[in-house]
Amino acid sequence: MKNLLKKIVITNIIMMLIVVPCLAKRNHVTIAGSTTVLPIAQATAEIFMDNNPEINISVRGGGSSVGIASIMAGTVDIGNASRHIKNKELLAARESGINPVEHIVANDGIAVVLHKDNSVKALTMAQVKDIYTGEIQNWKELGGKNMPIVVISRDVSSGTFEVFNKLVLKGAKSIDGALMLASNNAVVTTISSTPGAIGYAGLGYVTKRIKAVTIDGIMPTVKTIQSKEYPISRTLHMYTNGTPKGLVKQYIDFVLSAEGQNIVEELGFVKVD
Amino acid sequence: MKKSILLLMFILSIICSLTAKTKLKMELWNRWTYQTEDGVLKKNEMALKRGYFRLEPTFGNNIKGRFNLDFYSDDDSPTGAGMKLKYAYLDFNNLFPVKDLKLTAGLMKTYFGTIYSWDYTTIEKDPSDKYKFVSSTDYGVGLSGYFPKGFGTYQSAVYNGEGYKKTGDDLNKDMNFLVNTRITPIPGITVGGSFMMKTAKDSEIADSTGTMINNPDREEFMQFAGVGKFAYGPAKLLVQFLNQTKSKPNQNDYDDVTKTVISLMPTFKINNSFDLVARYDIYDPNTDAENDGKSLLLLGTNYYIMRDAKNKPKLFIQANYEIETPEDSEKDPLNTIMVQLRWIFSNKI
Repeated sequence: MKNLLKKIVITNIIMMLIVVPCLAKRNHVTIAGSTTVLPIAQATAEIFMDNNPEINISVRGGGSSVGIASIMAGTVDIGNASRHIKNKELLAARESGINPVEHIVANDGIAVVLHKDNSVKALTMAQVKDIYTGEIQNWKELGGKNMPIVVISRDVSSGTFEVFNKLVLKGAKSIDGALMLASNNAVVTTISSTPGAIGYAGLGYVTKRIKAVTIDGIMPTVKTIQSKEYPISRTLHMYTNGTPKGLVKQYIDFVLSAEGQNIVEELGFVKVD
Repeated sequence: MKKSILLLMFILSIICSLTAKTKLKMELWNRWTYQTEDGVLKKNEMALKRGYFRLEPTFGNNIKGRFNLDFYSDDDSPTGAGMKLKYAYLDFNNLFPVKDLKLTAGLMKTYFGTIYSWDYTTIEKDPSDKYKFVSSTDYGVGLSGYFPKGFGTYQSAVYNGEGYKKTGDDLNKDMNFLVNTRITPIPGITVGGSFMMKTAKDSEIADSTGTMINNPDREEFMQFAGVGKFAYGPAKLLVQFLNQTKSKPNQNDYDDVTKTVISLMPTFKINNSFDLVARYDIYDPNTDAENDGKSLLLLGTNYYIMRDAKNKPKLFIQANYEIETPEDSEKDPLNTIMVQLRWIFSNKI
């Protein structure tokens, strides 16, 4: 009898060790990556969990490169990115048996932003490039005050940096003195307290603390981004390993649903067409 | 003189890096090796097997460099320590109107087999390196690119042919030529091949009268590598077949020598902290000779103490047990235990 009880206890412990992690895994979705996509992921995850209390979604940032790397490593269910996956990354993933599938969850514009008291209101693409490459170093060269320009950029793991570098800088090297920051929030915070600063961030991060300027005469708005009139526009992505299933599919379907897209819009991004 | 040149290059790289965005990286391998043969202790050594000092300057988006010094300190070094220049090359991107195609020039990777992407999942060297098919780097110029949609990669290069550490009589004036490709038609299945033509010793030498004659010691090599990589969930398998044929074109009676290697390397990821690794090599230095080959059996584990945000290992321990068994049954196997602590750190300056 005693031995029987012992066997039952051991069996139950083993079963628990097997079943509990499986259950935990089944009810849990992990997301990491782009700081631009982060507010979308956080807000939609919160509503999704409210609607599905038995499900837990954990969301963290790190940058687009981290999001894609995490999908490749199999450490998250969804990797967020504000840029497309690179061919090199795609190959490395496929060699490892990972099949990254892209889901466009929002459209976005990269707003060029200045301190709210800066008198400059309009820039051209060429002028922005000249600022970031050091060809223009004082706001008076642009009709503003006699004030040195403080260039703020993003860390190279950022998808926002990748897109800005491609569309605006055309691969040119940023000025050595550029301040490289890790997130959109950091950019906004730094610009709001630095009168001579210029930076760039996703449209959803533009607040009253800073101001966006027109680029080639176009202001970044939902309308101009949707129409692709604004020249620094992009898509925002969630990557999964293969076609999503189960909870991951439910969550992504929610993000792409009317309710999810309303959240996207409320956050200042642009709905998927 | 060589040390002065290395020092000069090092200084130049520092100056150069200060004018570009530069990533600095250091990787160190602290290793204990315990080796016995027929019960006799042959080696019991603690050493710094590798100390890679790397600078990666970026000159805008289209030009990137890599400068790598390889430090080591072990019992095998004549002075107890040494240094080699491992990489010194530039990548030129977007030079041609082909997406992702880049030109590389300098002391660069040798794109043969898996040597150029070997990440030392086991402590043991890549088969191409271990069995002396190629040196891991060489002075050269090459093109490399990607097939669309992650379907593969390709390289073509011309090399000096002397590697990065060869000196002496094997130097010659001829270039080595290489092509390499890998294809991933389905996620988890990769197949590829490399083909290389290389030479040793000059084709002609001067006789006692100063007249140029055919060099009887001239060697020509044709070698290829077939690679298969298979990944399914936590399990991976790397399969390689290497073949080299050596000929002496200036000796009429010389029989070509063919060297082959078959290598199988399965790995299993238990979780994000532990891997199990194994490897089995069959090496035959001359397919026409008997009892001259050997086999290698390796079992090991990796314990990842720390990873970065991108899940790349930063601090980990590797433990390997190897049995190297000669084909000649009259010779004794070589048993080796290796335990290695690898640590990696990087920063941007």
